[in-house]
Amino acid sequence: MILAADAGNVLVWVVWVVAACACLGSGIAVISFSNPFFSALSLIGNLASLAVLYLLLSAEFVAAAQVLVYAGAVMVMFLFVIAYLGGRADAPWAGGPSWQAFAAGAASGALLVEVLVVISLKSSGRLTHEANIDSSFGSPARIGRLFLTDHLLAFEITSIVLLVAAVGGVILGSHSRNPSVDR
Amino acid sequence: MNGPNVVWYLAVATFLFCTGALGVLIRRSPLIVLLSLEIMLNGANLALIAFARQQGHEDGQIFALAVMAVAASEVVVGLGLIVAMARRRLDLDVDKLRTLRG
Amino acid sequence: MIPAAWICLFAPLGAAIAITLAGNRLSRRAAGYLATTSVLVSFVAAVVSFAFLLGDPPDNREQYSTLWHWLTAGPYQFDLRILVDPLSTFMMLIVAGVGFLIVWYSIGYMDGDDEERRYFAYMALFVFSMLLLVQGGNLLMLLAGWGLVGLSSYLLIGFWHERPTAIAAAKKAFVMNAIGDATMALALFILIQRDGTLNFEVVFSRTGSLGTWAANLVALGLLGGAVAKSAQLPLQTWLPDAMEGPTPVSALIHAATMVTAGVYLIVRTNALFEAAPHVQELAAGLGAATLLMAGLIALVQTDIKRVIAYSTMSQIGYMFLAAGLGAYADAMFHLMTHAFFKALLFMAAGIVIHALADEQDLRKMGGLRQYLPKTYWAFLVGALALTGIPPLSGFFSKDALLAPALAHGWYGQLLWVAGMVGVFLTGLYTFRMLFLAFWGEPSPFVQEHFHALKRDVVGVSLAVPVGVLTVLAAFAGWIQVYNFWTPISNWLDPVAPPLVTASGLQEAATSVIAVALALTGIGVAWWIYAARRGEAPRTLPLLQHKFYFDELYDALFYRPAVFLATGLYRWVERPLVFGSLRELAAAVRELGFETRSIQTGLVRTYVLAIAASLAVITIVFVVVR
Repeated sequence: MILAADAGNVLVWVVWVVAACACLGSGIAVISFSNPFFSALSLIGNLASLAVLYLLLSAEFVAAAQVLVYAGAVMVMFLFVIAYLGGRADAPWAGGPSWQAFAAGAASGALLVEVLVVISLKSSGRLTHEANIDSSFGSPARIGRLFLTDHLLAFEITSIVLLVAAVGGVILGSHSRNPSVDR
Repeated sequence: MNGPNVVWYLAVATFLFCTGALGVLIRRSPLIVLLSLEIMLNGANLALIAFARQQGHEDGQIFALAVMAVAASEVVVGLGLIVAMARRRLDLDVDKLRTLRG
Repeated sequence: MIPAAWICLFAPLGAAIAITLAGNRLSRRAAGYLATTSVLVSFVAAVVSFAFLLGDPPDNREQYSTLWHWLTAGPYQFDLRILVDPLSTFMMLIVAGVGFLIVWYSIGYMDGDDEERRYFAYMALFVFSMLLLVQGGNLLMLLAGWGLVGLSSYLLIGFWHERPTAIAAAKKAFVMNAIGDATMALALFILIQRDGTLNFEVVFSRTGSLGTWAANLVALGLLGGAVAKSAQLPLQTWLPDAMEGPTPVSALIHAATMVTAGVYLIVRTNALFEAAPHVQELAAGLGAATLLMAGLIALVQTDIKRVIAYSTMSQIGYMFLAAGLGAYADAMFHLMTHAFFKALLFMAAGIVIHALADEQDLRKMGGLRQYLPKTYWAFLVGALALTGIPPLSGFFSKDALLAPALAHGWYGQLLWVAGMVGVFLTGLYTFRMLFLAFWGEPSPFVQEHFHALKRDVVGVSLAVPVGVLTVLAAFAGWIQVYNFWTPISNWLDPVAPPLVTASGLQEAATSVIAVALALTGIGVAWWIYAARRGEAPRTLPLLQHKFYFDELYDALFYRPAVFLATGLYRWVERPLVFGSLRELAAAVRELGFETRSIQTGLVRTYVLAIAASLAVITIVFVVVR
């Protein structure tokens, strides 16, 4: 889907701001809720806003894959498990040594600040240059051709990883284990 | 291109990443930790897509697709672990798993 | 001749090593035979060397032989070399000859002891060490032999190591010898620095270039060593205690050979002493003082071996007196006769001790003349020789010693008077010992404990050496008679030309007065101890405590050392050394404990570590770029 370029910057900017805020807000929401159900729903919102951002970046195929695979399959799986766990999935806030919470906040904040500094001040103009792209940038045809030519190895290995995960999931979830040991 | 510069997207991606990291470090439930992990991965994905746009190659998008596939696999295994923990009636609390304590 | 000299040196060492390695495979008696045979081989080799040397013209009698270059460092080189010259062959004959007789005697004396093999190994080692000392071709070999002799003495004094007194005596001997070793080493350092080598021919010819300070220091250092080894004032306290060892040890080491090493040293290095005349006179003075002191102490001793020990100390004082005044050949002559009659006295006393089941107290003895007639005659000959009664050997050597003192000026004449007083004392204490032990009625102790010696291997080995020495003690003196017939002086002249010679009148006067004084001493002893017509005067505490030297050294050296050691232990070693070690261990343990808290077991902590490290590394990259 190609957005009409002649609607002007304003439209793009507005869409961007909305999507970015939704993204950030839902991200914070995920880590804040104590009910895991709400956290999962917030993550779905996060994924959706990310898809919008991808569209703005001319990555149509990835955006579609994001919605279908991530938001569609993965999150559904999450919700299934949360439903299965029921009350036991309740997730209160962290306990443990409180100095760790403070240090965690400090570390994350430091990382954030640093990277922001790097990409804005220290990049010395390298990041501002943007390449010119044509209209088939990010189309399924282009992605498919790359997967089957330049990145064939990555494609194959990823399929094996998926296979392994599937097998592992089946084994982990099967009932033929020994009767559970109470701890 | 119209709209914000690539740098803005990178800023959002960084913010997502750090939020996810904070969540991993602070929350006690393994479920929430997994969700935070997903946020981190998505932040990385956004950065990849942004760079792909900036450079003009789709390599970043290919990478992002691979990340997505791996993230899906990892979620499968992680949730399987959580279900196994729940079936053995373990507490779903990462703080309780301390056998490696020195 | 040279191979004979090397055989003489190494035969006893071979026996010592063989006995040590053979261990239990060698029977005890066989070990004794092996040691005795090796010393006999030594003696024969010494005779061969002597014979060959006789064949050389008198001015060419200095033969060096180097086995290998031992130490080489830059311009300094020290070799393993021996010297065959008149003085060394003289000593080789005495050491090997008397050594052979005494080791033979030991077979009988030590028979039945559990550790006979160790004894004979040590005796062979000692003979080797003493031969190395006298045959050494440079001062380093002499020092090596010196040290080894001290070691052998320590091993043999403390031979019966279950006795605490023996161990203490061995330690005392070794420590006092070590003091002498140290002063000698210092003297040798000065010589090395000045002359660059320790070879005799170089050192003795360059004494003029030493300068007074250096010459005096060197002579003092050597004198210190001699005084320690020969048990003279002020390092004499170890010799009486050394009587804890077996009697043959006392005979060989503390009468005939080791304690005479000091005299040998002075005679060998006479060039160095003559370059420092005051030190040489000091040596003579120390000798005179020692001979008087030892003679006085011997008057009150109750142990038969200790009387003979103090007598040795006194006689060596005579030799120091002579060597200090420059009468080298006379000193060596007396050394020879003294070796004979002193070893004889010790061995005869050993027979007495054995017969009385190891009793050594004179007060318990008496009337042994009837029980041990032959021993009595041997002892009598030895005693007469010691006292200097003509025509026995001591007469010729002792008077020849004292007469040159008269020719040395007022100092020599003073020493001569001391020597004469010593002659009187010698007669007194020697015959006191003889009368107490052998005359009178047999004491109850003797009647109860006496058991005679059998006529077997043991008996033969005890009797024959004593017999040989009796003959030697009686007749060996005739080898040098005043100025009429002086083969010994002629023999030693190239090596140690005398500084003083007595005139015929001085010699005659000395002899007459000496014999008179000796007979007076014997007479007084007879009056008090044999005929019991007089009462012995009450013994002075001063004499009984041996002039309080032991107490003096105890207060001067031992107590401060112990005080310092305890103080250091309490204030330095325990708090500082132990404390710091303990603190170190505690600190390490604390550190480990603290480090343990990093391992929380929570995955979150580890992820936090990763995140924090990432943050830091990013900063580093940013800054560096």
